[in-house]
Amino acid sequence: MRVLLASIAAALIAAPLGAQWTNAPAAAVPKNRDGSPNLNAPAPRTPDGKPDFSGVWSAERNQKCPPDGCPDNQMSEQFLDLGWGVKEGLPYQPWAAELVRRRTARAGQDDPTSHCFPGGIVRLYTYPTFNKVVQTPKLIVILSERELTYRQIFLDGRPLPDDPLPTWKGYSVGHWDGDTLVVESSGFRGDDIWLDRKGSPLTEAARIIERIRRVTFGRLETQLTVNDPKAYTRPFTVTLNEYLEPAGELMDFVCLENDASGPQFLGK
Amino acid sequence: MHRWIAAAVLVLLQAASAYAHHSFAAEYDAKKPAMFTGTVTKVQWTNPHVHFFLDVKDESGATSPWEFTMGAVNGLFRRGWTKDMLKPGDTVMVDGYLARDGSHLANARLVTLRDGRRMSGGTMPDEPAN
Repeated sequence: MRVLLASIAAALIAAPLGAQWTNAPAAAVPKNRDGSPNLNAPAPRTPDGKPDFSGVWSAERNQKCPPDGCPDNQMSEQFLDLGWGVKEGLPYQPWAAELVRRRTARAGQDDPTSHCFPGGIVRLYTYPTFNKVVQTPKLIVILSERELTYRQIFLDGRPLPDDPLPTWKGYSVGHWDGDTLVVESSGFRGDDIWLDRKGSPLTEAARIIERIRRVTFGRLETQLTVNDPKAYTRPFTVTLNEYLEPAGELMDFVCLENDASGPQFLGK
Repeated sequence: MHRWIAAAVLVLLQAASAYAHHSFAAEYDAKKPAMFTGTVTKVQWTNPHVHFFLDVKDESGATSPWEFTMGAVNGLFRRGWTKDMLKPGDTVMVDGYLARDGSHLANARLVTLRDGRRMSGGTMPDEPAN
């Protein structure tokens, strides 16, 4: 009987995974006794002993549910407002606060990602699209299915460039502090990068520090600090969680395929 | 008021909804839920949103074309959609939200397929009022 119940439970847990794009078996995922992925197991390590962040990851889905229940497409609170977990919200400079008010009043219509531009590195953590982390000793590559973009984090000891070409993802260098990967980034395109749907800005003066840990097999936790004195009165830090998609695979999200949301969207 | 609206069927939601790609609130009105039954004429499995088109019959028997949008292809497939679930000629029921501009466009929150399965269209939950 116990075996039967366990089989039923395993079948129920496995059912949504069957709906994935591919059914390739996930590599070396520790299993619970019922055969389901044990996402609370310890983080795996690379042959050189570092924590291994490799895998397909998706953003936390912690948005408040409406009174009639949670839809199945729940998103991250920080997608809407990066300052969601920050006491008193993000410390905007007055001009930035005014800009966010204007952007919010337009219901995010001017969000560059809504117009098919890539997002910056902060939104890699909050968009519901998946990321794939490919880790090597000297380089981490993060592939995003969103507009088929990439991010590189150099671990070979190079410094940040003095005068980087401003780009959507910036320039990132990292080093290990114990089991924490510390990544420093600069060289972001000013004006074009929103940190959230509210429209919190980022300027070319910004530096971003990420402290990334794989706290369990199934969770990456990042303490992300934005130091952008042009737009914010002080540096602020947010905690961003990502969860492993043990049977997940990347699937194209290219918004120019059919960006036909109608004149009622683009015209006003 | 559109005669297709069967507002009593759905609970009115207080805030506008959020959408992953475009802001839901920019295009649709969460205070205007509506239900439709119609015949599929075209399906576009494209990003950033899947679109499908129905010939919708109203109470008088007149038919008019409507366009519906759902979420992104990857999100829908991960929630169990496949391309053959929605095909031209199928009769389906849609429970969704009307576009703000009053055109024959709606966001499909829930689609009842030809075989009776009910599939989420990937509408995002409500956005906190801010």
